[in-house]
Amino acid sequence: MDPYYVQQLAIGLSLGMIYALMAIGFTLIFGVLNVVNFAHGEVYSIGAFAGLLLITAFGPPLLAVFLLVLAVGAATGFGLERLAFRPFRRFSDEASLKSRAMREATLMSSLALSIFTREAMELVFGSEFQTVPLDYLINEPIALGPVTIVTGDIIIFVAAAVMLGGLQYLLTRTATGRAIRAVSNNPLGAKYVGINTNRTIVLTFVIGSMMGALAGIMVGLYYGAIFPAMGFTPAVKAFVAMVMGGLSSIPGAVICALIIGVSESLATTFVSSVWADMVAYSFLLLTLVLFPQGLFGKGRDRV
Amino acid sequence: MTPILEIDGVGLRIGVQDILRDVSLRLPQGGIVAILGSNGVGKTSLMRTISGVYQATSGAIRHQGEDITRLQSHEIVARGILQAPEGRQIFSNMTVRENLVIGGGPHGLAELDHVVSLFPALGERLSQGAGSLSGGEQQMLCIGRALMRKPSVLLLDEPSLGLAPKLVRFIFDLIERIRSEGYSVLIVEQNAKAALRVADTASVIEGGRIVIEGPARDLADDPRIAEAYLGGHVHVP
Ligand SMILES: Nc1ncnc2c1ncn2[C@@H]1O[C@H](COP(=O)(O)OP(=O)(O)O)[C@@H](O)[C@H]1O
Ligand SMILES: [Mg+2]
Repeated sequence: MDPYYVQQLAIGLSLGMIYALMAIGFTLIFGVLNVVNFAHGEVYSIGAFAGLLLITAFGPPLLAVFLLVLAVGAATGFGLERLAFRPFRRFSDEASLKSRAMREATLMSSLALSIFTREAMELVFGSEFQTVPLDYLINEPIALGPVTIVTGDIIIFVAAAVMLGGLQYLLTRTATGRAIRAVSNNPLGAKYVGINTNRTIVLTFVIGSMMGALAGIMVGLYYGAIFPAMGFTPAVKAFVAMVMGGLSSIPGAVICALIIGVSESLATTFVSSVWADMVAYSFLLLTLVLFPQGLFGKGRDRV
Repeated sequence: MTPILEIDGVGLRIGVQDILRDVSLRLPQGGIVAILGSNGVGKTSLMRTISGVYQATSGAIRHQGEDITRLQSHEIVARGILQAPEGRQIFSNMTVRENLVIGGGPHGLAELDHVVSLFPALGERLSQGAGSLSGGEQQMLCIGRALMRKPSVLLLDEPSLGLAPKLVRFIFDLIERIRSEGYSVLIVEQNAKAALRVADTASVIEGGRIVIEGPARDLADDPRIAEAYLGGHVHVP
């Protein structure tokens, strides 16, 4: 195979991993609350800006940047749930926990918070690209035989794999993870076994936002492009991955995110980069028409 | 002696509707109390209020003498008040074992042997998906899940609903067996005959309030009950 295609495949996988990290945030939150968090793209931008501010202020090692961004992501998720979601959760019976009224209310409140955050960032930083210090860019070429990839491909792949593995461990092997799955499966049942459902919901926002924020800084340093509206496109792609994956299946969302990433990268190679963005939208249309439950959805199954 | 659970003048208002009015009852340590009543009179609402899924709008609920009226559902479970609720509310996407682990909370699987001894059918299906169980097995899982916490109070909301006669007998035998192990049980039933046979005392709810109460034996002979719930007079030996 032509090494060029292998390179494109590597780029596609990195891209797919980024979408996967984003898609998990959507999927976890959809699982526990049946709502779409429209502010998820801003979490990504906040992660990138938090990392950039730290880099320009202190110039710490990359790992420290990532850890701080994770912490900022956690705090953002916590605040997001308090501001845009908690106020609408006053009743706790099964009828209102996942009700349509709540879905519509939080759709508006998270959208409002998303617009507010983006505008606020544009007021402070301006809407144009920020300059990223060159030695923090993760685009140093690495030659693997005839194939050349960049450090970012490896960093993104490893970081995302660690996060995914950690999440899988959390969900299947720990009481906290079982609580998240229990609330996703049956929020009223979760109350009867003594699960603190509010705390569990906050936790899903925290975990999802940590992953979103980390995705933001990694992409920022990969492309050297950090700007307030940067979260929009990956959020849309991740949203498509979630829908394709069946709304609440984490493995489904991850696989679909990888498919989207690789397809976009191949579309750039074979057609033109103008068409790359169309890939995700075509997938979304095809899924909705051919597989209304998603590729991996099983009716009302969750997470 | 202080009852293990005491409901004292509890009222519940949702929206403009008074669902419960001035409901009082006492569950003594090691006793079985039955709540009877037809559909829609507020039995499940009372059970939900005890478990903290609904918040009482008046009155008080006490557990071992302590006020638990304002506690949240997870705090009430932490005190050992466990419910096998209406609709069973099991985790259908998870295995039987996972349901039981989650039920055990901080105790984990410490009670697994005990629960499996009560429900051998569950023991054979530990790694099966809970959603694939039959109705009777789901009810066993629902009760078993509550027992995993070694509850000080067990609340059962219509445990025999929709079960075949053989399983109904199994469930009531089970209730007597867990009572002999020292559990205190509050049971809501429409199967008044079977409930009055196992209970010490019973209360009948109508329109959100208690209209008849007394020792189960007396109620079984009460013509009002016989007429309304037992399809004529029955004698409990
Ligand atoms: N969350 C709720 N919102 C509005 N009405 C409710 C709610 N829960 C129960 N009710 C009403 O309270 C009444 C009693 O219901 P319920 O407690 O389920 O009765 P039962 O268990 O005795 O059949 C019914 O009229 C029901 O419609
Ligand atoms: Mg009921």
